[in-house]
Amino acid sequence: MHPTSRGFSRRDALKLAGAAGVAGLVTAYPGRISFAATDQTLDLAIERTRITIDGHTSRGIAIGGSIPAPTLRWREGQEVVIHVTNRLNEPTSIHWHGLLLQGVMDGAPGFNGFAPIHPGETYTYHFKLRQAGTYWYHSHSAGQEQEGMYGAIVIEPAERDPVRADQDYVMLLSDHTTESPDAVLRKLKVSEGYYNNNKRTLVDFFRDAQRDGLGATVTDRLDWAEMRMDATDLADVTGYQFLVNGKGPRDNWTALYKPGERVRLRIINGSAMTIFDVRIPGLAMTVVAADGQNVAPVKVDEFRMGVGETYDVVVIPQGDKPFTVFAEPIDRTGFARATLAVRDGLEGAIPERRPRAVLTMADMGMAHGGMAHGGMDHGAMAGMDHGAMAGMNHGAMPGMDHSSMAGMDHGSMPGMNNPGGMGSKDQATGWADAGTPPGAKALSYADLKSLTKAKDLREPAHEIEVRLTGMMSRYIWTLNGRKFDEGDPIRVAYGDRVRIRFVNETMMAHPMHLHGMFMELENGQKDRLPRKHVVLVPPGKTMSVQLTADEPGEWPFHCHLLYHMASGMMTRFIVERRTASL
Amino acid sequence: MRLNTRTLNIAAALLTGASLLSFSGAALAGAGESGHGHNTAAIGEPAKASAAKRTVQVEMGDNFYKPESIPVKAGETVRFVVKNKGEFLHEFNIGTAAMHAEHQRQMAMMMEHGMLTATGVNQKMMNMDHSKMPGMGHSMKHDDPNSVLVGPGETKELTWKFTKDAALEFACNIPGHYESGMVGTIDVKR
Repeated sequence: MHPTSRGFSRRDALKLAGAAGVAGLVTAYPGRISFAATDQTLDLAIERTRITIDGHTSRGIAIGGSIPAPTLRWREGQEVVIHVTNRLNEPTSIHWHGLLLQGVMDGAPGFNGFAPIHPGETYTYHFKLRQAGTYWYHSHSAGQEQEGMYGAIVIEPAERDPVRADQDYVMLLSDHTTESPDAVLRKLKVSEGYYNNNKRTLVDFFRDAQRDGLGATVTDRLDWAEMRMDATDLADVTGYQFLVNGKGPRDNWTALYKPGERVRLRIINGSAMTIFDVRIPGLAMTVVAADGQNVAPVKVDEFRMGVGETYDVVVIPQGDKPFTVFAEPIDRTGFARATLAVRDGLEGAIPERRPRAVLTMADMGMAHGGMAHGGMDHGAMAGMDHGAMAGMNHGAMPGMDHSSMAGMDHGSMPGMNNPGGMGSKDQATGWADAGTPPGAKALSYADLKSLTKAKDLREPAHEIEVRLTGMMSRYIWTLNGRKFDEGDPIRVAYGDRVRIRFVNETMMAHPMHLHGMFMELENGQKDRLPRKHVVLVPPGKTMSVQLTADEPGEWPFHCHLLYHMASGMMTRFIVERRTASL
Repeated sequence: MRLNTRTLNIAAALLTGASLLSFSGAALAGAGESGHGHNTAAIGEPAKASAAKRTVQVEMGDNFYKPESIPVKAGETVRFVVKNKGEFLHEFNIGTAAMHAEHQRQMAMMMEHGMLTATGVNQKMMNMDHSKMPGMGHSMKHDDPNSVLVGPGETKELTWKFTKDAALEFACNIPGHYESGMVGTIDVKR
């Protein structure tokens, strides 16, 4: 019923969603809320436009006339009506990322009875704002999000805001390519094809290790390691320009402050494929919200943000010198930059670029597997950015005895984070290594603690395992080994408390996004687990979340890397009433 | 112990914490080495509750105060009754912005060392001899009256005589709270 072995054009991605709709898998959930009053009415047209970044103009799609789309400033408790008119020659949609709402209003074609908005049509969204915080909205159709269909949502709380700031700015990070999303996908497919015979997954590795023994597997994987250790492990689309509020590094988007003011920055990662490391050299950031939800404030120097995540931070810049907001993609292929300044036209220094991280065995969950460090070292070396090799200790290489490494005690292996004793200064190792300098504090998920206590403290009644999987060779990304709508959906009874365990079997991090409900990240914060709509699951790692299935509907559950979702890394998360009337 | 005596009876260890916490701020304000009230001379001095003609109710939430500004006259003695309606430990500390900045570093250290938790004072840790802790400087045997720590659900008092014109702040220096806006202004005017 679905195309299986061919590539994934935009049309295919659409077909997947469309087919799901006509196949009758979709249940329409009638509205639970009747809308008596409307507090805000808004018209948004979607149309082709051109965007100029650092002096270069290219094609894009605008919502409401601009890229990014206008920031929607609302208030908790309001009822809003948004008329969305499609002036494209292809179907479109708008999804309200992170908002709690009735399923059909969620805006994901093929789910909850929502049909794409066809050319010339106007669709009216209508929902009540049940939460406060920083969120965003974007297309959920084909690659349109990549083309500029994203904007910020800021919802003021009905009650007092626990955060007080003198200035309040949205900083929407994105990645822009002059290529069409179709072309990007084609390219991914073709370039991945080159590696058709070499690319192996973590699962393959385990299987082979079991069959052939570790030593043999390690040897066999020398080339595998080499191949896997290239930049594509961190980010598989390159050639991006990185934007802050639609502006390139030279455009230098600037936020103004008066010295001593509290400046709240609502930072949204609205990119298609880019995980960012964000910092403001010389300025500590106090994280006050994650994914729109208030957290106990935590002071950091930098943080990493997955696609779709948002962080609100407060900074108190003193003096009149400008500060650079610096966001580097984890593959370090460029940077987004903005400035905090007392007046327009000022520029802070561009900080030194951080080295790109090289993945290690630890990233595959094998830190104590008793194997393969020889192979890994080799791989890391071969795959290294040669620009960084100047400082490497060549003398250490010939002496490396790979054959004896398999049985080593890795706990005491000093070279573990420093393969072959080389490149220690120029090469970060391991996915988690953002190149954070000693003494600086990088936010970790463990730091996130909900400002308010959880309402539902029941132990989860059951556990759902979601394996993050992929067939690298054909650029097919999957959940539990199944492409979208080829596997069974996840079904949960309304009101149940469940645990979802993400097991990342791939070598990439996947920002897993659930529509319709917040996931409470199990990070050790007991009754204050942070509420997230996106959880960034590092390569080779397992992470778990809890949630109360209190939003009936059929929600998209997917990797928020656009091309991963488009190639199949999505499923349905169905919350169904126990009664037969469903 | 001056004004803290009464509260001490209720929660001695907590107050000991408060005294320790506020000491450095006071030291910054004055020049002296010993941690007694006179060090806060630059910002005023502690007073007996009975000396106050005015009582100001201050409410604490997570993480904010109500009200956020308190006008006072130079020479006036004000009794502050501070009620914590939040779920986290908070501080009510009178000082200059610079004093608070210094104090925040120490509070962060105490959090790191487990002397303070998000919801209260770890009495065991707090009662340990921290005099050798780098940056802490002194033991905790100081009675510094310009600060109270208020646990969730608690109400504490602090009476202060504002001696001269100054731009002061009342602030919570628990890590992150000041930054996210848990600070108010005290304009001392003639």
